[in-house]
Amino acid sequence: MTQKPDTSLQKDPSFKPILRSIAFEIIIYIPLATIYTLVVLALAKDILVHIYSTYPTIYAIATLLAILTQGVLLEAFTSWIIRKIGLRA
Amino acid sequence: MEFPIAGVFINPVILALTGFFVGLLGGFFGVGGGFIAGPLMFWAGVPINFVVGTDLAHMTGKSIVSARTHRALGHVDLRLALLMIIGTIPGVEIGAQVIEHLETRGNIDMVVGLSYVGILTVIGLFTAWESFQAMRVKRTDQLDAQEVVGIETLIHRSRLLRIPPMIRLPVSGVQEVSVWSIIFVGLATGILAGLLGVGGGFIRMPLMIYILGIPTHVAVGTDLFEIVISAGFGTISHALKGNVDVLIALTMQTGAVIGAQIGARATRYFSGPIIRMLFSVLPIAAAVLVLFKLLG
Repeated sequence: MTQKPDTSLQKDPSFKPILRSIAFEIIIYIPLATIYTLVVLALAKDILVHIYSTYPTIYAIATLLAILTQGVLLEAFTSWIIRKIGLRA
Repeated sequence: MEFPIAGVFINPVILALTGFFVGLLGGFFGVGGGFIAGPLMFWAGVPINFVVGTDLAHMTGKSIVSARTHRALGHVDLRLALLMIIGTIPGVEIGAQVIEHLETRGNIDMVVGLSYVGILTVIGLFTAWESFQAMRVKRTDQLDAQEVVGIETLIHRSRLLRIPPMIRLPVSGVQEVSVWSIIFVGLATGILAGLLGVGGGFIRMPLMIYILGIPTHVAVGTDLFEIVISAGFGTISHALKGNVDVLIALTMQTGAVIGAQIGARATRYFSGPIIRMLFSVLPIAAAVLVLFKLLG
């Protein structure tokens, strides 16, 4: 009934490459995240606080859009940088 | 750093680290991690009325990152996810109605708390036992146990319910399954999620594996896709009530993005039974936390 997909090729017995990749990713990501938090959130703070206290419906939609957009953009940006410096295939 | 919506000062590094830890767990196990993030946020200083809504917002953003990574790895079955939503939405409503009914009769905390402890303990112990069986099969028979399930009979029995319409799930490698089985899994998860006030990831993930026969890696990825939708609805609902601090959620997400990616990619390095064995610790830990809360 069930066709079990052959996922054996996905396994890599060596942890070294992924651990090295993770360490580099974290080192690259920390300064990026710090700059992002300080600059972007500082700029958006006043606008979001104003919307929160004045337009609840717009705030609800803006919250969802902001969180989804930030997730996709940060993920794409990090992946792009990691690929550029050859840490991830 | 000041977070004026919630009216608190919190170190953003603590929020980002919380996001990283929860993202790591979420990406690896396919859970929202609300039962861990909530207490951590409260401990960091987030007011209790903002904890649930802000956690849902953070969960939505974190899960979309993990789901995208899992999708790139071929671990998201969109057809399965969309069919489950049909059951999840009314299920959540039924669960919420049961809660309202219990509220009118009193001692809701004890009833829900004990149900929570019971369900989580059963899920945790069952998953641990099953994954141990699966790993033993791998050791003794030298089979590829990447997706071996220790109790094939349960999946087989659920497949005997051949109630039309039947559907094929090529991404999950399932040739034929009743649409009603999928909707049932969504409904059961929705009822429990609505009743217990959780996202339901650690209930849905084992049900997908043991009832529908979905491979562990696909169950993890598909569950994350479901969480994006269910937590997204929850975010809107709580934000309308003024219980979401988007600035806190966005700060937590800066850590969660990297944690979620690492967690999702790490699943490639572990076989299905090992992921399930590690997963079994989560519901048991959550049950212990709730039990302490009830006794305290």
